[in-house]
Amino acid sequence: MQDLLYFSQQLINGLTIGSAYALIAIGYTMVYGIIGMINFAHGEIYMIGAYTALIAITGLATLGIAWLPVILIVALVCAMIVSSAMGWAVERVAYRPVRGRHRLIPLISAIGMSIFLQNYVHLAQGSRNIGFPALIEGSFQFGSEGAFAMSLSYMQITIFVTTLICMTALSLFISRSRTGRACRAVSQDLGMANLLGIDTNRIISATFVIGAALAAVAGLLLGMYYGSIDPLFGFIAGLKAFTAAVLGGIGSIPGAMLGGLILGVSESMTSGYLSGEYKDVVSFGLLILILLFKPTGLLGKPEVEKI
Amino acid sequence: MRTSVKKLVTAVSTSVALMGAGHAAAEIQIGIAGPMTGPVAQYGDMQFSGARMAIEQINANGGVMGEELVAVEYDDVCDPKQAVSVANSLVNDGVRFVVGHLCSSSTQPASDIYEDEGILMVTPASTSPEITERGYELVFRTIGLDSMQGPVAGNYLASLNPERVAVIHDKQQYGEGIATAVRDTLKDKGVEIAMFEGITAGSKDFSSLVTKLKQADVDYVYYGGYHPELGLILRQADQAGLDTIFMGPEGVGNKDINTIAGEAAEGLLVTLPPAFDQKAANQELVKAFEAKGEDPSGPFVLTSYTAVQLIADGIEKAESTDPFEVAEALRSGSFETPIGTVEYDKAGDMESFEFVVYEWHSDGSKTPVN
Repeated sequence: MQDLLYFSQQLINGLTIGSAYALIAIGYTMVYGIIGMINFAHGEIYMIGAYTALIAITGLATLGIAWLPVILIVALVCAMIVSSAMGWAVERVAYRPVRGRHRLIPLISAIGMSIFLQNYVHLAQGSRNIGFPALIEGSFQFGSEGAFAMSLSYMQITIFVTTLICMTALSLFISRSRTGRACRAVSQDLGMANLLGIDTNRIISATFVIGAALAAVAGLLLGMYYGSIDPLFGFIAGLKAFTAAVLGGIGSIPGAMLGGLILGVSESMTSGYLSGEYKDVVSFGLLILILLFKPTGLLGKPEVEKI
Repeated sequence: MRTSVKKLVTAVSTSVALMGAGHAAAEIQIGIAGPMTGPVAQYGDMQFSGARMAIEQINANGGVMGEELVAVEYDDVCDPKQAVSVANSLVNDGVRFVVGHLCSSSTQPASDIYEDEGILMVTPASTSPEITERGYELVFRTIGLDSMQGPVAGNYLASLNPERVAVIHDKQQYGEGIATAVRDTLKDKGVEIAMFEGITAGSKDFSSLVTKLKQADVDYVYYGGYHPELGLILRQADQAGLDTIFMGPEGVGNKDINTIAGEAAEGLLVTLPPAFDQKAANQELVKAFEAKGEDPSGPFVLTSYTAVQLIADGIEKAESTDPFEVAEALRSGSFETPIGTVEYDKAGDMESFEFVVYEWHSDGSKTPVN
């Protein structure tokens, strides 16, 4: 019983982080699916989302607004708007001018963008860890008195539910809406979609914006869950989410979700049963194995070579 | 930053030279190297404020051998790679005395360069024993060693008669070093170590670790490392309902931990250098800091002040600005400083240095535990 509770607790921990990885991974996978390139500034957009949310929360607190749903919604909306604008700007500045050239060029300009954004936040917000208020506190406890109790916090539930809503909304958007259909067409053949009258520039911008908005959601959720943010925390999260996207099959949206969850659970199981020191070894080891044995990822389709 | 400081220095010294010949014509550069930015910049602030104050006061009292001290500041971000490039630029700038670095993992690689290039280094904060174990001539510190601090923490924990203790560290030179010292002390005292494990510095998710601690059912957790990680561990442990007492070294004892951990920081045990700012002999100095709007209570403010003072005293005693002669003077002398009487052994460590156990509070204050 004890062992089962312990296992479930680690599973919950893993799924929580995994859902957030999945939200960030969507941004990588959508951009790759459409233009076949990795958006290396995506981790930074997630970080900026978290900072914007924190600024909004602090702002509301100084205005004296203390009603939780209002705070959360305002923070979420602010973060999504600012991050989306950033996503759009990244595409305009770092991708569009060099699109169609050798594919190393946009890769490098995206890395440059990432360094720029990171240092901009360093300058604007300072380089220290800033505490993020825990707005949603409390938990359900399972287990007997005096022994190991499994806890499922309201924050973890919030993360699951929010991720579920976002993923469902995204799936519906991609499969049902006009823009979603255009997205799929562009991802199949950009040139042909262009000939058929689809405004491909607009669609490409849209994918950057959607990915950025989801990253902002993850930024707010993880900021609250972890408890502190700093200008560098987008980098590692970006790498992890990228791993998740590759694991699930880059270019595939269900793949990103699956990859995120697998990565999160494998991380928490490693630190739960082995040692926390090996957490990152396992996640990046997984990436290497997948690249060696199934380069298209778990749910990816074999495709002609792209970066 | 550095170039602007240098420009300012040049401008000031030029104007001084123009205003009155003969007055403080020459100058002695004192490099201050530590983290101005990055996750532990809070400690860097302590170091810079202490060292600047010392330089200011020494200059106000006529300088050293009639020469003025000039601060040259460098940011190493507590990153070993940056520390090496900082050390190299110090060499290029012709600085021969350094107060720094702060993080042990920065001090160690930088000190290799200083020793080779004949630069005297006094670290006000690095506690890793390895730094002075290599027989270097020009390496000194104004702080104790983890081999002194670890047993203080270990003995204190053992005196509470715990059944099981977990020891966690951040895998860095400082964190792992002190955690190992604490673990060994506890083992000697017959305390069961339920866990000895590393985490990755800079990571944010400690939910699995907290679950593991909960499962291990420990009475105390010792953490070797810095406040950004421990702050998060405290907060996430609090949220998961883990009910144990945490303890850490001076690397976790600053007010930034309160902004991260909030209420969860209440009751944290910390080993720190004694509160030098409470000493009666230092009250005038404390007032000088307060007049500038600075807080002298941080653990490294007065150790940095002392580092500058020792360099100045060493130069006076050796009657030379040759780092090797100054080092010789420091080893042979006995110096009255704000942190007490300083005497050095051959390795460059202070003959004695005390660490005190404090209980940390959620408002950022601390009370000594007896």
